[in-house]
Amino acid sequence: MTTLDSMNSEISDFWQSHRENLQVIPLEISLEVDSFYSQPEWTVYRMRYTGLGGYRLFAWLSVPLAGGTYPALIRMPDYGSVHDIVYTSLRSQAIVMNPTYRGQRNSDVPFQAEYPGLLTEGIETPETYVMRQVFADALRAVHALLTQQVATVSALTITGAGLGGSLALAVASQCPTVMAVAADVPLMLGHPDILGEATAYPLGELNDYLRVYPHRRGTVLADTSPLNPLSIAAKVYVPVLLSIGTRDRGQCPVAMGEELAKRIPQCDLHIYDGAGEGGGHPHNVVRGSWLKGMLGLN
Amino acid sequence: MATKDDLERFRCQVTRPGDIDEFWLDVLTQLDDLALDPRVSPVPLRSNEDVDVSLVTYRSLDGLDISAWYCVPTQGDGPFPAVIQFPGYKGEPGLRRDWGRKGVITITVAVRGKLRSSQQFNPGYPGVLTHGIESRDTYSYRGIISDCVRGVDFLLSRAEVDTDRIYASGSSQGGGLTLITAALKPEIKGGVAGYPFLCCFPETLEMLRSYPYDELRCYVRAWPDRKEQMLETLSYFDAVNFVSRIECPMAVGIALDDEVCPPETSYAAYAGLTCEKELWLFPDSGHGNAHEYTAKETAWLEGQLGLISGQGAKP
Repeated sequence: MTTLDSMNSEISDFWQSHRENLQVIPLEISLEVDSFYSQPEWTVYRMRYTGLGGYRLFAWLSVPLAGGTYPALIRMPDYGSVHDIVYTSLRSQAIVMNPTYRGQRNSDVPFQAEYPGLLTEGIETPETYVMRQVFADALRAVHALLTQQVATVSALTITGAGLGGSLALAVASQCPTVMAVAADVPLMLGHPDILGEATAYPLGELNDYLRVYPHRRGTVLADTSPLNPLSIAAKVYVPVLLSIGTRDRGQCPVAMGEELAKRIPQCDLHIYDGAGEGGGHPHNVVRGSWLKGMLGLN
Repeated sequence: MATKDDLERFRCQVTRPGDIDEFWLDVLTQLDDLALDPRVSPVPLRSNEDVDVSLVTYRSLDGLDISAWYCVPTQGDGPFPAVIQFPGYKGEPGLRRDWGRKGVITITVAVRGKLRSSQQFNPGYPGVLTHGIESRDTYSYRGIISDCVRGVDFLLSRAEVDTDRIYASGSSQGGGLTLITAALKPEIKGGVAGYPFLCCFPETLEMLRSYPYDELRCYVRAWPDRKEQMLETLSYFDAVNFVSRIECPMAVGIALDDEVCPPETSYAAYAGLTCEKELWLFPDSGHGNAHEYTAKETAWLEGQLGLISGQGAKP
């Protein structure tokens, strides 16, 4: 049986290992203005930097036209091949970064992720399990944003939905520079209760895998365990806006979301009558207003 | 939030090219002349007790190989009715195993540019919406729509499919593709289009700044002298110019706070339908996130398929 102490130690080792490995890898940031997708109020950059194992990662970065010092928002990527340069009016007043993780488009050399498929890619050992590296890629995005030279970050807030919600919480637990997190239906990868036939995609990918390899249940639990949002929740000391949907079976089942909210010291939990879409439009409005407040924008 | 009055007052300015029917007849003829070359590869990892899952490929316009997930019920005697699902703009098509338990085949098409259909065509996202837009003959959607048409051809070629009971569905870009494909393929017996994209292109340039439509604004900003040519091309791919050809029952779902596909533009497509039709308006909902949409889509299709108790099977 895993004790709380041994679990905490495992989580601590997992992140310390990532930090140490990343520390010795040069970021090698490159920034290229994308004049086609730049707007009258902000400049869009194609940003590249190096992550774990020397892997080159991509991010869309926008900076208000005047340059200078601004609050920043990182929009962590969800579980899918594309993380685009989605419109937000915040871009005229804040630095906005949309980083990708390995396997997504623009970060797909040499590894191209499959959907479904990524959640079990390399799960045979902790060293080869790609999702562990995905979490390191999210942490690396913060390093890259704070190191780039085109604008100065005054305060940092992170948002994300699904996997992006989990990445946002995980990074906030490791980076004291993060001031606030808005996470929607965070992917409960690593929670032991998701290994059940009733779980829908994307978490259902693990059940597909265990149907074919039932003897690897222990390996799946061990490899995903450090990625469980519950494992880092108590270390997210900043304000968190969390939303979940009562009918969600594939990302953040409501009981797990409520459990997560209880463990986060400053959590404002919003529960909606939704499924994978969580709070939908009403929560988009709540989140937009909350983020503006956290970023200190009018 | 838009109101129903706003939707009804809206006047779409899209013009229908005089030769649009000839243009698409030519494309369909090219497709008919092309061997389908279907290949079906079982995927045991994704199969379960209800559904045998396969990865399918078939040949589409310009010789491109297109992939799709194909889910066939394990229980019962075929032939089975089928639902073809078209993908959104940037997402990858998912597996619809949920219909297998109901005795329904599903195919979810990865149109060209999606990961599993990107070997020969891969402009990326953003990028697809303006790729080849200089001419109707080079525009990306000439191929993408063809890929949907060929998905129906694939179903028609299969012995396990009840070819008199093929239905279509999709949301966002998938909604637009549902409308357009239903117009081009009368073998589709009904369809559900949620939050349809690809409607009223000229208006979208003025109405909003969100992606993917904003790609068109970026294009015009980069090449203002090409705007008229761009709109000329788009008129051959605007769902509004297809809907009057649809003869099967259709349902259209529209979110009144849709910040990606303006509700007025989706409504214009609905208004142009002359077939049996049903409209679902979702107040306080945005793009793709109306809480009731999925349940309504499922119920409508179950009704069409004769799966709801008390309703006889449709012929």
